[in-house]
Amino acid sequence: MPESIIAQMAVSGALMGLVYALIAYGFQLTFATSKSLNFGQGELVMVSAFFSLTLLTLGLPYLLVVPAGLLFGAAVGMAVERTGVRLALEQRSEGWILLTIIIGLFLFSFAENIWGRDDRPFPTPIPSTPFHVFGVDVTPLEISVLVGVLAVMGMIELFKRQTLLGKAVEAVAADRDAAELMGISATRTVVLSYALSGGVAALAGILVSPITTVGPTMASALVLKAFSVAVVAGLESGFGVVVIGLFLGALESLASFYLGSGWREAPGLILLILALAVRPTGVFGKAVIRKV
Amino acid sequence: MKAFLAALLCALAVPALAADTVKIALTGPYSGGSAPMGTSTRDGSKLAIAEINAAGGIQIGDKKMKIEIIERDDEAKNERGALIAQELASMADLSGVIGSVNTGVVMAGDKHLQEKGITKIICPAAGSASMTQWAKPDGPTELSIFRFAAHDGIQAAMVVEEALRLGFKKVAIFYDSTNYGVSGRDDLLNQIKKQGDKLEVVASEKWNIGDKDMTAQLLKAKAAGAQAVLIWGIGPELAAIANGKAKVGYNVPLIGGWTLSMSNYIDNAGANGNGALMPQTFIEEKGISPKIDKFINDYHASYKVERIPSPVSAAQGYDAVLIFVEAIKQAQSTDSRKIKAALEDLKTPVKGVIATWTKPYTKWDRSNVETHEAFRRAQTVMGKVQDGRVTFSNPADRDRLKAQAAK
Repeated sequence: MPESIIAQMAVSGALMGLVYALIAYGFQLTFATSKSLNFGQGELVMVSAFFSLTLLTLGLPYLLVVPAGLLFGAAVGMAVERTGVRLALEQRSEGWILLTIIIGLFLFSFAENIWGRDDRPFPTPIPSTPFHVFGVDVTPLEISVLVGVLAVMGMIELFKRQTLLGKAVEAVAADRDAAELMGISATRTVVLSYALSGGVAALAGILVSPITTVGPTMASALVLKAFSVAVVAGLESGFGVVVIGLFLGALESLASFYLGSGWREAPGLILLILALAVRPTGVFGKAVIRKV
Repeated sequence: MKAFLAALLCALAVPALAADTVKIALTGPYSGGSAPMGTSTRDGSKLAIAEINAAGGIQIGDKKMKIEIIERDDEAKNERGALIAQELASMADLSGVIGSVNTGVVMAGDKHLQEKGITKIICPAAGSASMTQWAKPDGPTELSIFRFAAHDGIQAAMVVEEALRLGFKKVAIFYDSTNYGVSGRDDLLNQIKKQGDKLEVVASEKWNIGDKDMTAQLLKAKAAGAQAVLIWGIGPELAAIANGKAKVGYNVPLIGGWTLSMSNYIDNAGANGNGALMPQTFIEEKGISPKIDKFINDYHASYKVERIPSPVSAAQGYDAVLIFVEAIKQAQSTDSRKIKAALEDLKTPVKGVIATWTKPYTKWDRSNVETHEAFRRAQTVMGKVQDGRVTFSNPADRDRLKAQAAK
């Protein structure tokens, strides 16, 4: 088999893997501050994509649709935190698991009723005609995924390291009680992390929609893989999700090529089992010693 | 209290009066990936029913009976299809069923209708298995299931013919993992053998409903040197293939089942969808005959669209109702078994938008599935996707249809 095909498969898959990484990053953001996840993250990706599509069809230019979509995602993220997570966290219960799933289901029916059950194309000014680099065909659309994912993750990481508010997020992530004693409002930090996570989910939706089309079920497969990425990489490392995302995407693509299209998901699942067995904190995760 | 009872009795009496209607059930997927076919069939059928009702209904004996529609969405899910079929089979006064898009739904549901002797015209599900499941040595000797669609046997023959006509030697076969896709693949392989084994299948690839990334399958076909992709699937995934083909720079035609004319293929693939070839029983193009023009205009006006989501389904839905109603007239009864007998021996030709149907069906013979199949090769043409529409791939077909209509 010529190397160019292998390279093509790996690159196409890896670029798709970046979307998994972005959604996985959304999981990390909230997990760091609150040790909770939004299990309806996939539905958040989907409603944000539908919302952005509606703005596009209303005639708003793409460059305005992207920030509007991100804001919408952030707002929904905050709403999820308020309705599904905060009370459960205050009561130190695991109620957020069920509540976020329920909110996800609600968003799903909401989308079905408002936008219908059909898959729709997502028009974008970014062309999808491929160009040739190093013997591999890449479309500007895929490049936009690469640029978008890295830019947003870079910005958030910078924000966490360089700004006061960002440092507060890091502080709450490191030790919630100590941070509160220092006068940082943990609740507000958690809200912020849910807003960021929602924005990230919306971006994932906007970036992936032109490739996959928009429909109520568009994110159900994506989010499962994002979850594997987050678990395999560890729920702490932003750099880790990118590496594992790229790896898993490429692996899937090559598996469906060599083992047949029916086996596409298998290596990813095996990887997940292995990671859980060998390194439960994730490949890039740090083992935390809990002092009792 | 007495007044209340009287009112209640009146209310109960109304359904009894409603027995003056002919009940026909329309079923199909009205949501999801197969929806363009399901809704177009339903809406085409409703157009015919509205015309018949506007003219006063069907003359049965000394009464004119209007048609009452019972509508069920099977969501293209096999288990929903089975439930709906059970429900319909238990209705005492149902005259018949028209619909079903998905072969899996047909396989799951039709046995219940056959058991109760309810006449059904399958329209437009094309998978071969829908009818061949009955055509076995131990199959039923009386069958109440008919089909009104160019079945995959015909379609596969045309697809292979077309590939040979275009001079291809090596092809890839792509199919989805549903009953429809797998039986389509088998039909293609059979036809390749039947037509002299002149095509070499260099790649055989499948996908699941909902898959969006087809790069692996396409690169395999490309590496194997396939000059065309023979394909069996439904709209959204077909579009993903067309888009993926453009991405990996693999410029060969898609030739496949009639699903390549679905609006969700055409819209989601955009310019990448151009050039796809598929068998069609109806092309949404004016100027062939006044009857076709009227049908297209009525459809656009009634449902406020500029393009029929699936023209083939709409036209078949329309003609299927006309044929069914002719059978009711001939039977002079709303009894489903009598209608079945009439369908098997229709005396008057039915003028539809696709063709004039002279004896579309004959007495069921389990050794010959064609007895309950209305379409032959002659009622089918090759269509081609061009700039968001389906046109005639071969202009000679347009002229032939015009000449037929003028006769």
